[in-house]
Amino acid sequence: MRPENYEAQRQPPSYDYELNIGPNHPGIEGNYAFKLRLNGDRVIAGRADAGYLHRGFEKLMEGRLWIQNLAITPRICVPDPVPMEVSYCLAVEDLCGLVVPERAQWLRVMQLELSRIAAHLFIFGGHAATTGMYTPMFWGIADRDLILDLFEEMTGGRVYHIYNIPGGVRRDLPDGFGERVTNTLDYLESRLPDYDNLLFTNQVFVHRARGCGPISQQQALEWGVTGPNLRATGLKFDVRRDDPYLVYDQLEFEIPTEAPGDAWARALVRRREIKESIRIIRQVVARLPTLAGPIRCPIPNPLAWNVPAGSTYTRVESSKGELAWYVVSDGGERPYRTHVRGPSQMHAVQVLEQLAIGCRIEDVAQIMFSLDACPPEVDR
Amino acid sequence: MTNELTTWLDTLLAELDGIEVRRTSRRRLRVEVASDALPALLELLRGRASFVHLSAISCVDWIDAGQFELVYHCWSYEIQSLVSVHTRIPREPGVYISVYDIYTPAAFFERDIHEMFGVWFEGSPDLSRFILTEWDGPPPMRKDFDSEAWVNQHFGWQDYHPDWLKDLEARGGGIAVPPNEQRFSRRTVDET
Repeated sequence: MRPENYEAQRQPPSYDYELNIGPNHPGIEGNYAFKLRLNGDRVIAGRADAGYLHRGFEKLMEGRLWIQNLAITPRICVPDPVPMEVSYCLAVEDLCGLVVPERAQWLRVMQLELSRIAAHLFIFGGHAATTGMYTPMFWGIADRDLILDLFEEMTGGRVYHIYNIPGGVRRDLPDGFGERVTNTLDYLESRLPDYDNLLFTNQVFVHRARGCGPISQQQALEWGVTGPNLRATGLKFDVRRDDPYLVYDQLEFEIPTEAPGDAWARALVRRREIKESIRIIRQVVARLPTLAGPIRCPIPNPLAWNVPAGSTYTRVESSKGELAWYVVSDGGERPYRTHVRGPSQMHAVQVLEQLAIGCRIEDVAQIMFSLDACPPEVDR
Repeated sequence: MTNELTTWLDTLLAELDGIEVRRTSRRRLRVEVASDALPALLELLRGRASFVHLSAISCVDWIDAGQFELVYHCWSYEIQSLVSVHTRIPREPGVYISVYDIYTPAAFFERDIHEMFGVWFEGSPDLSRFILTEWDGPPPMRKDFDSEAWVNQHFGWQDYHPDWLKDLEARGGGIAVPPNEQRFSRRTVDET
């Protein structure tokens, strides 16, 4: 909302007051506003206000060719763009009945898991910063940059890759890439104990995060919480395992869960997921040399591609939770309708509004970061 | 347990009248149901068949048929399958009933569909503006809303011709695309 259109609500005289956090505020991820009603430093009610990042992607995609839309999809979520393009490609492949070559599927898994680690490192640092500790933030972003270097080499882009196309991936790995991935993973793994010492044994973080913004498992199921936030309430659910896509059913990995459901548990689940993602990428690196063959299947001329009529709903596990595309084709060369379901549409709106009630003002930012809410997904 | 539930679900869906069920893959079920029976079906799915997670509600504007299609994607953590319940409502007046009392996440999706398509959901807790706070035009995701025509009506085009560009254009380059090479953009304007 523009400032000139803002009118304070008329309320009966009291000691309550209103406070707007955002749309530009270090305690908010991205451009997003959270309007609080406070008594002292206790939050009485919170109301999410989105729209600062609305780019009308769903409408834009209806006017562009199936292949042109690939440039739009990763931009929906900035810190974790890969699941967006993969799930869109899965949807188009499902509509067309394309069979993706196995090598391309493993390459996609590698890219997805690298992106998951990068996103977790990013939010891990962000969460630490909301409790006043900036060192993990600098470390997290610096280590994420090493993964961006790998992305640059693998795909040509650091943040938005557009590496996937319906039917496969754009290009194969450069020579010696597996070795460089392994080196980076070794380094990241050696860093994890440092992170533990810096954050998870730090009494400031322990006291701030434990018991902050707790969600019970029943509430999580009722509010539509997914991803690490759901696993932090003790439910062992992961789309990769329970609704498998690509080659995740051939990979070995654990699904970390924690019981308490508070900010501490959510951070810990992410920390443990980094380890599992490293484990997955090592399996992919070991497997790739044994997989010769094409990296994409033949597709029709992408500039005159009529996708068969139908609809599909494809889900993947992004670093934030369940991500899904509902794609409808009427047999034309453009999508008839695309709808993206981002995990943050739940986490950043209803869940955040519920969790803010009764907490102290300094915990609002921590709750938002611990939920890994991503406003671009809400606005689209 | 899972097998029992799956069998139970199949029996339930087979016994109900007026619904059309199609299994599109091992974990995907497509159900078409009349709009007046949808809340009852969702109640059964959630209450009796463990479909506790409403993944999304999607809306599709079938303008030629004069209908909105609403799709409710429900996931069961026990059966591990996803049921997409399709229903169609008349485009005018575009009023339907909220399923907020069955699924709490429905509040967000209904608010979003109301904003983007103009469908009113009776009983939804909050249908106030969310993303398009200061928007006073028609619901933009409807098929009869032409973004480019709206822009042409409400905003002016600005010529961008700095000197460096003029130099380029004098040498035959530049950023302008000749009309006969414009394949994908501004087609609507040329046709009208």
